[in-house]
Amino acid sequence: MSSAAKAGLLIGAIAIAVVAFLVARPSDDDDGDRRAAQTTPSQPQDQASDKAEPSAPPPPVPTRIRIRDGAVVGGAPDIKVDKGETVRIVISADAADELHLHGYDITREAEADRPARFRFEADLEGAFEIESHTAEDAGKDPLVARLLVEPS
Amino acid sequence: MSLIAHGLVGRSDLPIPEWLFGWGAAMVLVVSFVALALLWPQPKLQREHWRPLPGGLGRPLASRAVELICGALGVFLLGMVIWSGLRGTQSPTANFAPTFIYVIFWLGLVAVSVLFGDVFRAFNPWRAVGRACAWLAPTVSRADLPKPLEYPQRLGNWPAVAGIFAFAVMELVVSDGDEPHNLAVATMVYSAATFIAMALYGVEAWIERGEALSVYFNLFSRLSPFETRDHVVGLRRPLSGLAALKPVAGTVPLLAVIIGSVTFDGAAEGPLWTGIAPDIMNFFDDLGLSAQRAFEVTFLVGLTATILLIHGFYRLGTIGARSVGGGFSALQLARAFVHTLVPIALAYVAAHYFTLLLFQGQAFWALISDPLGNGSDLFGTADRQVDYAVIGANATWYWQVAFVVGGHVLALTLAHDRALALYEDTKLAVRSQYWMLAVMVGFTSLALWLLSQANG
Repeated sequence: MSSAAKAGLLIGAIAIAVVAFLVARPSDDDDGDRRAAQTTPSQPQDQASDKAEPSAPPPPVPTRIRIRDGAVVGGAPDIKVDKGETVRIVISADAADELHLHGYDITREAEADRPARFRFEADLEGAFEIESHTAEDAGKDPLVARLLVEPS
Repeated sequence: MSLIAHGLVGRSDLPIPEWLFGWGAAMVLVVSFVALALLWPQPKLQREHWRPLPGGLGRPLASRAVELICGALGVFLLGMVIWSGLRGTQSPTANFAPTFIYVIFWLGLVAVSVLFGDVFRAFNPWRAVGRACAWLAPTVSRADLPKPLEYPQRLGNWPAVAGIFAFAVMELVVSDGDEPHNLAVATMVYSAATFIAMALYGVEAWIERGEALSVYFNLFSRLSPFETRDHVVGLRRPLSGLAALKPVAGTVPLLAVIIGSVTFDGAAEGPLWTGIAPDIMNFFDDLGLSAQRAFEVTFLVGLTATILLIHGFYRLGTIGARSVGGGFSALQLARAFVHTLVPIALAYVAAHYFTLLLFQGQAFWALISDPLGNGSDLFGTADRQVDYAVIGANATWYWQVAFVVGGHVLALTLAHDRALALYEDTKLAVRSQYWMLAVMVGFTSLALWLLSQANG
């Protein structure tokens, strides 16, 4: 292969990579390309199923989590929100507990008759864990929920 | 309940979105075929090429004085870890030891090694103490030390395999592996073992092949253009440091342990493992183990199985490459191409842990001022908070995919060059490369898949 052909191949490959990236990226408007047609439908679908879950609250509806006998009823849920949303989480426990949201570094106390209430703006992207310090001290799995803040 | 699952991780990564997964996988294929067409027809990386740093900087940088200072700093930090682990608070995040060992040292030094070469060699506290002893002993005892034993060929890198595996077990399997006291004890045990081995086989022989952390960081440092020779820092041709790696017994398993433990750490958060783990745990529960022990044994089984699968997959590729002819055994081929796994290992480590280093690494400033977690403020930095907003989710995803695809390109280049050097017949070289290409596409796809799983 001549060096001109090699350079052409390299430039062609880079062009394909860049174009494919720009087309596949969902933030772009739908243009008629087939790739976009293949990838974008899955995106709104994901969004839709997120919204359908009770764990993705529009601001006024809090996510409710119950802790019974040191375990989360139904297992630790994933709470999916978009960046910038106001998040409300209410955690009720049958015994005194201390709950800590990592990253945002918010700690709330729960009593048997008084649930812990979180309310904050999700301004950090990423996955953050809510842990029970009571469970941690007892040597149990401390995970209460995971907060997934996706880019808006 | 491994460290990475809880403990020191304040913010973990979101899985990469489907479209980026697809794009990354497509790029791996495009890159592979373009590389096959573009790469050079004659081996280029196999010849040694090294010259001192320009401006006469190479000599002072590797001088005795610099070595002494670095060694002393290494010994000081080793002491800090043990002291804070034994005497400090037992909260993993408030104590200096866990963040220093698992983040600053274990992850930070990988980055430093790749950029600046084998820096750990200068800072290695065990090497510094060993050399100081070797220098002092004849003066004190007024007699020459007995000659060290010859390092057994068959031992090769196996002690390093055991050491890195033990580190992974501490990090990913042991429930209390992030507790400061346990880390201090583990550090002391490792130090004692290292001193004994250095006394038996000599300081440099043990550092070069047996001491797990030296061998580990040296592997990554071979990606760096900087290399020290005869007390002079110099520059070498990019990637030639890896081509110059001399594999010994245990080098292939060592790479399998490195890649396998990162793979397991990623998979342990995903649905595949969380689906089967309870069944294995119940099995050990029924055998009469306590819940915590059953949990640990289950994770040990998962970690070991993952490492064996990674090792088996690579060996399968070399068996395939043997089938094209050329008269090499599968083991010879496995060793001849093992250096190509180093950039892949780096891609795994970087994609999986770079945000942990970026976030928890910032905690160094607060912890160095308050190593025991008792409210002291030695350097006035105890109040520094971790800024989790330094990188967004999108940028994280792009970096992760870039690491994985970049590692693939480097591995491919190294394998191409080695094949050209190994086979006299160019046709065989090309045909053997299809097998190595399949191995690399496999490892790279696995890395992308792990990133697309929960927590990446």
